[in-house]
Amino acid sequence: MLKKTFKIPDMTCSNCAMKLESLEDSLDGVKEINASYHRLEMVIEYDETKLNEDQIVAAVRKKGYQAEVI
Amino acid sequence: MPKQKNKPIDPVVIVMLGVVFVAIAVAMIAFQPNSNSITIAADAGTMSQLLVAFVTGITTGGLSCLAVQGGLLASSLAHQIEQDYVEHAAKNKKVKTTPRSNSALPIALFLLAKLAAYTLLGALLGWLGSYLTLSPFTRAFLMIAIGIFMIGNALRMFNVHPIFRYFSIEPPKFITRYIRRTAKGTDTATPIFLGLLTVFIPCGVTQAMMATALGTGSIAMGAALMFAFTLGTSPVFFIIAYLTTELGSRLEKFFMRFVAVLVLILGFVTLDGGLNLMGSPLSLQNLTRNLFPSERIASAQADSSQPSADGAITLQVQNSGYFPTTLKAPAGKDFTLNLVTNQTYSCARDFVIPALNYYELLPDTGSVQVNIPAQKAGSTLFFTCSMGMYTGQIVFE
Repeated sequence: MLKKTFKIPDMTCSNCAMKLESLEDSLDGVKEINASYHRLEMVIEYDETKLNEDQIVAAVRKKGYQAEVI
Repeated sequence: MPKQKNKPIDPVVIVMLGVVFVAIAVAMIAFQPNSNSITIAADAGTMSQLLVAFVTGITTGGLSCLAVQGGLLASSLAHQIEQDYVEHAAKNKKVKTTPRSNSALPIALFLLAKLAAYTLLGALLGWLGSYLTLSPFTRAFLMIAIGIFMIGNALRMFNVHPIFRYFSIEPPKFITRYIRRTAKGTDTATPIFLGLLTVFIPCGVTQAMMATALGTGSIAMGAALMFAFTLGTSPVFFIIAYLTTELGSRLEKFFMRFVAVLVLILGFVTLDGGLNLMGSPLSLQNLTRNLFPSERIASAQADSSQPSADGAITLQVQNSGYFPTTLKAPAGKDFTLNLVTNQTYSCARDFVIPALNYYELLPDTGSVQVNIPAQKAGSTLFFTCSMGMYTGQIVFE
């Protein structure tokens, strides 16, 4: 399992954090996501054999946000 | 071949009509404080308080609630609707379907559940309030805190500085996770359950109304107040949640700008009300009254009641405020302030002199005498209604 933090600069409210956390349910290989509007970041714990950074960034973009790994 | 040639009446029309009729009915009842039926049910002061709650809901509460709850919960509903739509569209690829008939009902159920939950919460707060008394000072403090909270939130929405992000209350993860996973269901129980859950994430204006419900000290009044307020919030909440789910996040962003402006204005109004209730000379009303005396104030001063033979000064307490707004009284000696009401049903009846810690709910028609102790020459005593809306001052010379 890998744990990475992504900067999400275009979150506008706590709802955005919830939207990003919903990737937990739709993205295969994700164990847990904690997104914070206060810090504008998302911490994701995932199985690196099933998922990679690019896929995460693409999934986040699909939700309407830009992401870059910190 | 499309299945539905005869398109059923869009539920959004039915729900909107229902909400509008209920809103009109409540407004009509509240605007007739003199009718016999109402004086039997409740006194007119109560009705005016409910009207204020309803109007607060319809003008500001809906937008403010939406800023806190709407993004979180309406989008959860949107997710559900979106899923329904995608599934439906996949099943009927050749049929041009519209999600419209799906989105109105869950939102309406959500709002009905929210209405029920907040009414119960109001009853609970009213019951709790019967065990404690909120002094005008405490209420002033609450209003100032709520005002700052609202201004901070508006500045957050405008993205003024990262620090303002902390004005956004992030619900605990276990709640949002639970709500999100519950929202994935497609039965009618889901929006109802989500509506009930909104009591855990009240917006700033709702919190202010909850404080007012607490202050009523009555189960029935607390419940009625929260019912009126939540009912008022429903049409705005419904329209925007509906449009957001139908038209997407671009519109949501547009509305959030609009909400930010309104919340900012309301934040200042609430803060100013709190300052009034505290008797601060720094409130906007008190500052402008002294810095820029208007014609109205000048004429009010000209009409200002002079002390009668027994040293009493009369203040007319009317539905639209206090007249004259500026009274002049002799310094260095006690006098009697005669508060006269005549079919006064507004919050002006809840008369407060913060500096003297004086608070009295005046009769709707009648007079009440207040003994004002001697004050220094050049000093000013501010008075206000319990909501900090109507104000006035006594200048000692």
